[in-house]
Amino acid sequence: MPIAKAARENPLFEALISTAVDGIMVIDENAVVQVYNKACERLFGYGAGEVIGHNVRMLMPEPYRTAHDGYVGHYVATGEKHIIGIGREVQGLRKDGTVFPMNLSVGEGMVNGQRIFVGIITDLSDRLARDRRIQELQTEMWHVSRLTDMGQVAAGLAHELNQPLTAILNYTNAGLDIAKDSGDKDLETIFGKVAEQTSRAGNIIRRLRSFIEKREPNRVAEDLGKTVEEAIRLGMMDAADRNIHLELRAEPGLPPALIDRIQIQQVVINLMKNAAEAMEHSENRHMTVSVQSASPEFLQVAVADTGPGLAKEVADKLFQAFTSTKKSGMGMGLNICRSIVEAHGGRLWAEDNPGGGTIFRFNVPAAGTET
Amino acid sequence: MSQADSICVVDDDADVRDSLEILLRRSGYAVRCFASARDFLEAGPSATRSCVLADVRMPEMDGFALQREIARRWPKLPVVIMTGHGDIPMAVKAMRAGAIDFLEKPFEKPALIDAINRALAHADAPDAPAAPKPVPRELLTEREFEIFQLLVEGHQNKVVAHKLDISVRTAEAHRAKLMSKLGARNLADLVRLSFAGES
Repeated sequence: MPIAKAARENPLFEALISTAVDGIMVIDENAVVQVYNKACERLFGYGAGEVIGHNVRMLMPEPYRTAHDGYVGHYVATGEKHIIGIGREVQGLRKDGTVFPMNLSVGEGMVNGQRIFVGIITDLSDRLARDRRIQELQTEMWHVSRLTDMGQVAAGLAHELNQPLTAILNYTNAGLDIAKDSGDKDLETIFGKVAEQTSRAGNIIRRLRSFIEKREPNRVAEDLGKTVEEAIRLGMMDAADRNIHLELRAEPGLPPALIDRIQIQQVVINLMKNAAEAMEHSENRHMTVSVQSASPEFLQVAVADTGPGLAKEVADKLFQAFTSTKKSGMGMGLNICRSIVEAHGGRLWAEDNPGGGTIFRFNVPAAGTET
Repeated sequence: MSQADSICVVDDDADVRDSLEILLRRSGYAVRCFASARDFLEAGPSATRSCVLADVRMPEMDGFALQREIARRWPKLPVVIMTGHGDIPMAVKAMRAGAIDFLEKPFEKPALIDAINRALAHADAPDAPAAPKPVPRELLTEREFEIFQLLVEGHQNKVVAHKLDISVRTAEAHRAKLMSKLGARNLADLVRLSFAGES
């Protein structure tokens, strides 16, 4: 095995291979492993002694395991490249039997008249886990925001429906009185039943409302800085594209906040989206998201932009439902944000940014002594 | 009930006004309807014994603002607040604003007549409103009194539970217990009792 021997005999080569962060592996044209570095040992869980001299397929799950000799043979015979010089995402098999995603790039070379293949391996499990986490968070967020919006719509609907129901019940009760006076038993029964059914409808609405209001928020002690950081990752993935300089300032050593993480992230994302839109036509696009202590009981998140600031008539109606300055806006965003913050026992407000622009701030309770 | 008793209905919903007018007229009251708080304030109350039945949610001037203005101009004119929102914070706000009672829409006729009669009785009272008995504190355990105070400050069960570090279920159980001990049938009763405690 000349390659392995060369590796052992050349200290620079040896150092290069063994200190590489990525897995480096060399196989011959029979797919027998010649070089297998330290990073590979960490990745696959096998020691070099267990792999060198064996067919590389031992590091592959099925169906690649069975097919691999065929791939190599096919290439040697035809010269058709499928992975060589390109690299792609494949799966590796650890000693403990687990399969993990990895990026494999393969190069080809000749050493002492012998064809070798060099594989460089990057573990993708972390990155995939992170991608999956972000996807999960997005799905969760979408679900909750839909629920919150639905709650708002339902609350509005409940109020609207109460008015006609009130009128119906009043008319019916008046009719019931008249029927009683007239002595028409059937009419009395009918009015009585209408009143009963109207009350029933009223109770359904009452239950709907209390369901919306009492839906227990999932409030636990959370690291507010992390929560906000995650929200930034979720909501502002396009900040760089929009030429926005985004800065997160988190005061160190803050106590945890007592919050429903997803709802608060929804608020943060909403405020950041507004800030980004406000700066669309600004020269200077600087968004600062700060997490700080507001008082012993409250933590504060502030989203500051360098946009044109709020016009007085906009500022007055900022939180009203169905008020929007955006062409496509429903005007529910800030309204929902405020409901969420207030349900946490906090407050959401806007103020002028001294350097120009607007700062939205909201407070949420610190978990403090309870936890 | 006297024939001359007059009820001033203030609600921006025409059908609610109309239906209340018919119902109350059939029940023997004189009824005047107003589409807005301002309309009522311009017209002023009736010369006879009367009370105001006002909705909370109205454009421009809401029921609470109307209540405050009435308290300033006609301190003896009792107000019953109607609301589509029958929760404790709303009740506390209504009672703080000086309402005699509050009705959750839609309401049954007995509840309506009851509230109106209570309000009219108030109109009869001598200048100072009759000082109700203070909350019989000795009836309640320490925990129940704590919960009572948090409730009438306008906190919901879950907030009470959180503040006292107990489960929502426990808070609800305490609340039911203390309401029955105090003879409070509903939130309005409970809030009324707390005001009695203050005066």
